[in-house]
Amino acid sequence: MHKSRTVWAAAAGLTGIALAVTGCSTGSSSNSASTASSGGKVTLKVQTFNEFGYADLFTEYMKDHPNVTIVSDKAAKSDDARASVKNSIATSTVTDDIVAADVDWMPELLKSSDFFADVKTTDNAKRWPDWKMAQATDASGKLIGLGTDSGPQGVCYRKDLFQKAGLPTDRAQVATLLGGSSATWDQYFATGQKFMAANTGAAWFDSLGALAQVANNQQAEPFESKSDDSITVAKSDSNASKVFTMLTSHTDQSAHLAQWTDDWTKAFASDKFATVMCPAWMTQIIAGDAPDQKNWDIADVLPGGSSNWGGSFLLVPAKGKNVTEAKALADWLTAPAQAAKVFVKFGNFPSQTDAVKDATVTAKTDTYFNNAPTGQIFSNRFSAVSKQPYRGSHYFDINDQFGKALTRVDVDKTDNAAASWQKFLDAVKQLG
Amino acid sequence: MVTITELPTRPRDVRPRRRIGMRQRLGRWDVKVSPYLYISPFFVLFAITGLFPLLYTAVVSLHKWNLLTGEGPFVGLKNYVDVLHQPFFWKALRNTFSIFALSTIPQVIIALVIAAVLNANLRARTFWRMGVLVPYVVAPVAVAMIFGQIFSDQSGMMNAILSKVGISPVGWHSNVLASHLAIANMVNYRWTGYNTLVILAAMQAIPNDIFEAAIIDGASRVRQFFSVTIPMIRPTLIFVIITSTIGGLQIFDEPTMFDQQNSATTAGGADGQFVTVTMYLYQLGWGSQNNLGRSAAVAWLLFLVILAISLVNYWFTNRIASDSGAVRRARKVRS
Repeated sequence: MHKSRTVWAAAAGLTGIALAVTGCSTGSSSNSASTASSGGKVTLKVQTFNEFGYADLFTEYMKDHPNVTIVSDKAAKSDDARASVKNSIATSTVTDDIVAADVDWMPELLKSSDFFADVKTTDNAKRWPDWKMAQATDASGKLIGLGTDSGPQGVCYRKDLFQKAGLPTDRAQVATLLGGSSATWDQYFATGQKFMAANTGAAWFDSLGALAQVANNQQAEPFESKSDDSITVAKSDSNASKVFTMLTSHTDQSAHLAQWTDDWTKAFASDKFATVMCPAWMTQIIAGDAPDQKNWDIADVLPGGSSNWGGSFLLVPAKGKNVTEAKALADWLTAPAQAAKVFVKFGNFPSQTDAVKDATVTAKTDTYFNNAPTGQIFSNRFSAVSKQPYRGSHYFDINDQFGKALTRVDVDKTDNAAASWQKFLDAVKQLG
Repeated sequence: MVTITELPTRPRDVRPRRRIGMRQRLGRWDVKVSPYLYISPFFVLFAITGLFPLLYTAVVSLHKWNLLTGEGPFVGLKNYVDVLHQPFFWKALRNTFSIFALSTIPQVIIALVIAAVLNANLRARTFWRMGVLVPYVVAPVAVAMIFGQIFSDQSGMMNAILSKVGISPVGWHSNVLASHLAIANMVNYRWTGYNTLVILAAMQAIPNDIFEAAIIDGASRVRQFFSVTIPMIRPTLIFVIITSTIGGLQIFDEPTMFDQQNSATTAGGADGQFVTVTMYLYQLGWGSQNNLGRSAAVAWLLFLVILAISLVNYWFTNRIASDSGAVRRARKVRS
């Protein structure tokens, strides 16, 4: 789950920037001469959540299109934005001309794909890699969402703790240590065992739930069968059960800190764990939660190969008043050039193939991570992502229950692995 | 009303008898109907915003109904049966009652005591009286963030204090009772002051001569409180108890915020430790199941539960209040 979008810890940190920037967005719709075609005035309402980094782009677009006024309608939390999108589908009313949606909501929005306009054009058809397009394409091949950002993952690690444990600290060496381009989970846990044996007082990773996010996303069909959408978790050799067994047998390397809790947030500043799975957007969260901790670094590697966590889309409700103009704006906002600008200023990593290779993107370094070339690293991590797990009708619920099953074993310690797995299966059976 | 005063002066003569009859009838209607007409805006509004959703929810609960794709076939009571067969519903009901008991009961008792104290002749009375209302002004989200810090499992203040006095840290999010206590704390923090002020207002309306009479009869402070104050504020007590019962059984914000790991559609603890009925309702209807039918069934079940509890409360409060019989008895003895 793309929790970063739901959590106020992150939101709180970004609100400052958000407030500063939205201030400009409502400002001048300057009078400079235009290239825009004639036509009546249109007002486009754009609903986003958290920080999409669009304020400057809105101003720029309005300058070029004097007949267009853009109203930013930013939800405080992604929960609110999700409820608002769902309510407008449920009551088939259109309140915003463009709505942003997290990849986690896409399976349910795709079921109501009639509500949204087809946004594919000959220009943007090759803009994203196939896996990103697939997330917003319905069964009949209609594209309902234009991809904005993505979350290719690397491994963030603590140099000082690695040193204490006698492990290499250079980011290239760490990547090799974990297996480089053929990194496996076995190697990750084996290194974890070495690290734990050194008794630094810190754990190897934050929690099983955090790892599950990566491991499940690496399965082609994590919980459901692609062919008939049936739930497969109950089978004894299901992918989910394999991941569960693999993770719960390494509970000893966990810091038992559930993601997004206060304890977890505070842990980035102290010495609680040495590694954390790191989608591009996580770097901002770490830097925000532990501004004084100078030892975080990032390695261009991921156990099990590669994975993407999160990312959003812009959707255009088909019954809106200004569908053509809204489509044009959404298309422009998600074009590679704009996506690259957003990344440079706000750090939302692009999902567009050309933007990822853009020189301004690959040249970006991050002073917080000891000047790590984060642009290049995440560009590499992005290129490695080749597939997207199948997400059926119950993906979100099962994924949530899976996370809770791991939390019971790892964080709460209210159940052992077998009992927690049984509770998981019971909970999945109740879905309907 | 003008017509009424006119009527008797009309001469009862000849033809326009029918017209007078008409007027009379109008007059009678005026008397009978107008009062209802005057209070009708409330009921019209209530019918639109209260009664209609209530009945509509009942209709939804009898259908297979998806939030996004809309109405499905009529399924009778199947949604109710499904919900009642889900262990999670019973867990949510248990949690709701437990949090309700841990919050509402101490809340009303504490409010009653504080109100009694504030009713006494204190220095800077207004200051103290406004002081109790301050927590009520704090936004629930802010309260949740503050208490979230206090009740963090590893880095929280509460566990730090406990470990200072040699008690091992409590799993505020993993232990069922501990999580309920933490949430009840948030609720009490916000609502005690509000209830205090309502009760205080009622106490101030008690005529002083009753107390004087009690003092002359030699009643102690405590005896005055139980035999005069409580019976005299009975209607207010009933109001406070019933509104806080309803609020307590519908609790949503605090437990949702207490789960920092999950969003509103999945919150409530890894093992459902503090999922409440309203949270369960929201998760069914607005989580990714989008099952509005079952969600509506839960809403009606909750409605029935609240109705039942409120009736019990009413009966119970009437019993307390029949303590006023004590006053009557006392008077009889005297005379």
